[in-house]
Amino acid sequence: MTRKVPSFWILLLVLVGVSLWASPLRAQRVYIDINQPSFEQMPVAIPEFKRQNEQQPRYAGELSGMLGNALDSSGIFRILDPRGFLGDPQGIGVELNTIRFDDWRRLGADFLVRGQYRVEGDQLALEMRLFDAVAGRTVVGKLYTGSQGERRRMIQRFADEILFAITGERGNFGTRIAFVQQQGKDREIYLVDFDGSNPVPLTQDHGINLSPAWHPSGNKIVYVGFQGRHTKLFAIDVGSGSRRVLAEYPGLNAAAAWRPGHGELAATLSMGGNPDIYLLNESGGVVRQLTKGWSIEVSPCWSPDGNRLAYVSSETGNPQVYVLEVAGGSSRRITFQGTYNTDPAWSPKGDFIAYTGQAHGAFQIFVIRPDGSGNRQLTSGAGNNESPTWSPDGRLIAFSSDREGSRAIWVTVVNGQGLRRLTHLGGEQRMPDWSPRTTEK
Amino acid sequence: MLKQRLAKWLGWGRRSGQTLVCALLVVAMAGFMGCAKKQVPVSGTAAAVPGGGGIQQGAGSGMTEEQLGEQALMDKLGLHSEAERQAFMKQAQTFKNDDIHFDYDSYVLNAEAKGILDQKAVFVRKYPAVQVSIEGHCDERGTSEYNLALGERRAKSAWQYLVNSGIDGKILDAVSYGEERPLASGRDEASFARNRRAHFDLIY
Repeated sequence: MTRKVPSFWILLLVLVGVSLWASPLRAQRVYIDINQPSFEQMPVAIPEFKRQNEQQPRYAGELSGMLGNALDSSGIFRILDPRGFLGDPQGIGVELNTIRFDDWRRLGADFLVRGQYRVEGDQLALEMRLFDAVAGRTVVGKLYTGSQGERRRMIQRFADEILFAITGERGNFGTRIAFVQQQGKDREIYLVDFDGSNPVPLTQDHGINLSPAWHPSGNKIVYVGFQGRHTKLFAIDVGSGSRRVLAEYPGLNAAAAWRPGHGELAATLSMGGNPDIYLLNESGGVVRQLTKGWSIEVSPCWSPDGNRLAYVSSETGNPQVYVLEVAGGSSRRITFQGTYNTDPAWSPKGDFIAYTGQAHGAFQIFVIRPDGSGNRQLTSGAGNNESPTWSPDGRLIAFSSDREGSRAIWVTVVNGQGLRRLTHLGGEQRMPDWSPRTTEK
Repeated sequence: MLKQRLAKWLGWGRRSGQTLVCALLVVAMAGFMGCAKKQVPVSGTAAAVPGGGGIQQGAGSGMTEEQLGEQALMDKLGLHSEAERQAFMKQAQTFKNDDIHFDYDSYVLNAEAKGILDQKAVFVRKYPAVQVSIEGHCDERGTSEYNLALGERRAKSAWQYLVNSGIDGKILDAVSYGEERPLASGRDEASFARNRRAHFDLIY
């Protein structure tokens, strides 16, 4: 496996990102607050891009489609079907004063993206602008130049610019999701791009590999692997695929989570007699035991500042989510609804914890505040929905669902909208963990 | 490892020219291997041996050292005659076939489970040289991480019961496969109930 990061740095140097227009609008208007339950996806029209010469005519539809997919994956936009658009997209202008916003508003578009491109040799010059169709204003525009092979990156960069202009925050472009690919008896760790493209195996040992968890650097993953009958914790380098045993204590070595900013990780070990959560250093040595119970303590998950730990304990007789103040050692239960609440995942901003709970016989994703208030069911309907993980921008939650039969990775906007299936592989996909933003940003 | 051991054993039987015994062993092995095949975990390394490979190796030539090894195993288990060996095989099969079962999200031993464990204690007391692997399993409902821990608690419940019955804890190894090795693939209560189990394996 080769590393993708360096090539992108080259792209950054080669690529000339010119801000064509100053956008004072940005400061004046916060377009959306996705934390509002009333938030609805914003309809955007992306007609075919305009060719500026005769080279690579297929890019006209490919590039606009690519941008549509990228924006769709953010969960914030609803991409209008281009078949409903009026007129020849090659005949429509790309600049503010040439666009008839009335027509686009009538089609239901709040926003419009126009792009044009020119190919000379291997060089691609791609210019894109986002317009506010309601206000009839330019929101953001960029010109990118680079090799043709870098066009997907250009599209993702502009999609990121759009998200930043609209929400004030960057998106998830360039991030990846680790998950467990189950095929027959094999459970391998896989990676897939944030938008569901490029699924690749990280382990290929035909064993049982579970619970992948990204290091805050985005360079390595800790996971649980069986060797013979026993579990071990492995750390695997995402770029090279090289791995080493991190922990092989007697008994269970299960689900681990790196502690942000501390060079430590929490893991479930049962060497003390029953499954408890321990703090380990990066070499796997025990720093100290974090939970001491007679029951099951599993699924550690850190607050973004690394000061608090959410975990699952069955001390009441069934699994519930607890939050531990790591320095003081005090712990409190935060889930009280239902008799089976597991798999906590702390949001990147620290304001929410997503978890898996049982409701009416099925498993669903819930969101709750770390103090136990504001409990809310996020998924509903057919099948079981489990193992939530947050996108680095905090807008999306990926999880595994069997709503279409076999388990696959699905993504939803945090307010429950924009549900879409991310993986379309054979077998089953489980236990997703979303990477942090990479150094590309 | 178990497969190879048994295959060697089978080879030893053939070489001794004890045709009838061999045939009996083959019959026993069929049941034995069928059971073992379901339970033997896939190796965590790339060098995993495909199922059945051990039998071919075992039936090959150059058995002298292995024969000695098997004789040592017989002695270790206290099996001094073919009749004793057969008796052991039969009881070992029962030992491995009888799983104990649990309620949903529970690792409490019910009366039936305790009855089965009492029988297992009798076997282990009779053959104290065996090593026992207790494998805890869960149905697929609930989350994998919790089920991995729950499976271990199930195995530990059985472990504790056997230790309380006077069995040396050192010969018992409690492990968990969580929900990763179901016996039944259905998504109905009958399948779930079969999968919520502790399985017992013998390691020689």
